[in-house]
Amino acid sequence: MATRWQNLQGLRVILRYWSGTAGVILVAAFTVLAVIGPLIAPHGPFEVVYRTDHSVLRLSPPTWRALFGTTNQGMDVFSQLLWGTRVAMLVGLLSAVGSVVLGTIVGLVAGYFGGWIDEVLMRLTDVAFGIPFLPFAMVVISITHPSLGLVIMLVVFFLWRTTARVIRAQVLSLRVRPFVWAARAAGAGHLRILLHHITPNVLPLSFLYAAIGVQAGVMLEAALSFLGYGDPNAMSWGTMLNAAFQAGAMRTAWWWVLPPGVALSLFVVAIFMITRAYEELLNPRLRVL
Amino acid sequence: MTNLLYAALRRVLLFAVTVWCILTIMFALFKLLPGDPTAIFLDNNMSMEMIEHQKQLWGLNDPWWLQYLHYIGNMATFRFGDSFFQNQPVSEILVEKVENTCAMIVPALVVSVVFGTILGALAGWKRGSRFEQTTVTTALVLHSAPSFFVGILVLMVFSYQLRWLPPGGMVSLGGPEGFWALITSTDYLRHLILPGLVLVSREITGPILLVRSSMLEIKGSDFIDILRAKGLTEPRILTHATRNALLPLVTYIAVMTGLLLQGQVLLEIIFAWPGIGRELVTALGDLDYPVAQGALYVMALVILLLNLLADMLYGVIDPRSR
Repeated sequence: MATRWQNLQGLRVILRYWSGTAGVILVAAFTVLAVIGPLIAPHGPFEVVYRTDHSVLRLSPPTWRALFGTTNQGMDVFSQLLWGTRVAMLVGLLSAVGSVVLGTIVGLVAGYFGGWIDEVLMRLTDVAFGIPFLPFAMVVISITHPSLGLVIMLVVFFLWRTTARVIRAQVLSLRVRPFVWAARAAGAGHLRILLHHITPNVLPLSFLYAAIGVQAGVMLEAALSFLGYGDPNAMSWGTMLNAAFQAGAMRTAWWWVLPPGVALSLFVVAIFMITRAYEELLNPRLRVL
Repeated sequence: MTNLLYAALRRVLLFAVTVWCILTIMFALFKLLPGDPTAIFLDNNMSMEMIEHQKQLWGLNDPWWLQYLHYIGNMATFRFGDSFFQNQPVSEILVEKVENTCAMIVPALVVSVVFGTILGALAGWKRGSRFEQTTVTTALVLHSAPSFFVGILVLMVFSYQLRWLPPGGMVSLGGPEGFWALITSTDYLRHLILPGLVLVSREITGPILLVRSSMLEIKGSDFIDILRAKGLTEPRILTHATRNALLPLVTYIAVMTGLLLQGQVLLEIIFAWPGIGRELVTALGDLDYPVAQGALYVMALVILLLNLLADMLYGVIDPRSR
C-alpha cells in the first residue's frame, strides 16, 4: 500500500527509466524557458521587427537578426515561441490542478458515500463524457468572449471526468479495507476517514492524472487556438500555428510553422514519457522491456 | 436473461437522460446567454414589423419554458430548421457532411483495426522481443503527438515539397459527382491518403495495446498448451489465440470512434475536408446558428450512441460481465 512517504519516491523511480529521465529533463527545460523566456526574448510577442532602413522585416528566413525568422507581419518567431512557452505552462498547470482537484473530490465523495450521492455524481460524469470537447468549447467561446481564463475553465470541465471515475473506483476498493474499519471503530468521523485514511491512498493516482492533465491542457489550448478560438491577447503555440496556417506558411515559410509545432510535440511527448514510466511502475504488465 | 434486459433498459433510460441534459445545456448556451440572438442574424434594414414577424415565427416572443419545450421537441425529432445562409434545411446539409466525415473515418478505422490487431497479436506473442518494444514505443509516441501538427507536417512534405498528393479537399475540381461515384474513384483515394494516414497513426495505438495485453493473458492459458500438445504449428496456435484476444476490441472500437470524432474538427480543417467538423467551424464563423446547433447535437448524439452500443455489446459478448 502506498503511503505519503512513497509518493515522494515517485520522482526517483521515474528516473530509473531512460525515457522517464528524458521526459523530466525536457519538462524542466520548458519550465525554465517559461519562467525566463520573456526576459531573454529579443522582442515582444506582437512586436514588429524593422530593418535598419525602417522597413518591416517580413517573412525573413532564420538569420542572426531573427533566429527563427519572422512572420508575414514581421514578428519575431523566436520571441513568440518563448512567450508561448509561458502561456502553455500556465494553461497546463492551472487546468491540471483544477481538473484533478475537482475530479478527486467528486471521486472521493461518490466512492466513499455511495448510494444516491454516487448515482447522481456518476450520472453527471456520464453526461460530461457525452460532450465532445472541441465542438462544445468552440460554441461556448464563440457565444461568449475568448480569453485564457475561459479556455482553462473549459479544459477543466473536460478533464475532471476521467479523474473522478478512476478515483471513485479506487475509493470503492479502499473503503472496505480493514484499516478503514479500524479507524471507524476507533471513532473517526467521515471527514477524518476521508482526509486521513483514504485521500493519502488515492494521491498517487491523482498525481498521475495531474501529469496527464498538464499534457491534455496544453494540447487542448493549442487545438482551440489553432482553430482560432484562443485568447487574442495571448501568444500561444496554437495561436502561432493558426496564424501560420491562415497565411499559408506551410507553402512558403517552414521556419514559422516548425518551431511552435515541434515545441508542442516535444512538450507533449515529454510529459507522456514521464506518465508512462509512472504507469509502468503502477502496472508492470504495461512494460515492454 | 431478465437481468440482461433490465440492465439494457436502465442503460437506454440513462442514455435518454444524458441526451436531455446535453440538450438543456445547449438550450441554455444558445438562448439564455447575454445579448439578443436576433441582433446577430436580423438585417439592420428590416423594419420593426418585419423583425417582430420574424421573432413571432421563431417563437422568440414565447415564454422561455415554451421555447424550451419546443426546442427539446424539435431536437429530439431532428427538426433543426433552415440554415440562415445556405437556403437549405439544416438536416439536409448535415446528412451530406456526415457522409463525408464517414468517408474519412471508416477507411481509417478499418485499417487501424486490421493492422493494429495483427501488430498487437504479434507483439503480445513475442513478449520481450525487439519487435514488441519497437511496435509499442512507436505506437505510443505517435499516439501522444499532437495529430494536427502531424497533419500539417505531412502536408508540408508530401503535398507542398514533393507534390505527390493533393493538398486537401475530398475531390479535385471537376471530379466525380454524387457520393457513391465519388468514393469509388481513385481521385478520392488520392485525397484520402494523407488525412487517413494521420488518423491511422493515431488510432492504431488502441488496438495494438489492447490486443497485445489480452494476448499476454491468453498466452498463459490452458487451451494454448493443449493446442501445442496436439502438435499444431506456431502460426495456427497464434490464429487461435488472436481470435480470443479480439473480444475486448469490439467494444473498444465503439469508444474509439467516439473519441476520434472529437478530434475530427482539426483534421478536417487542416485537410479542407468537407465534413461535419469543418461545417461546425464554418457555421460558427458565419453565425449560422441552426447549422452550428445541429452539428454539435449530431456529434454529441453519435458519441453517446457509440458509448451506449459499447456498453450493450460488452454485456452480450462477454458473459462474465453480467
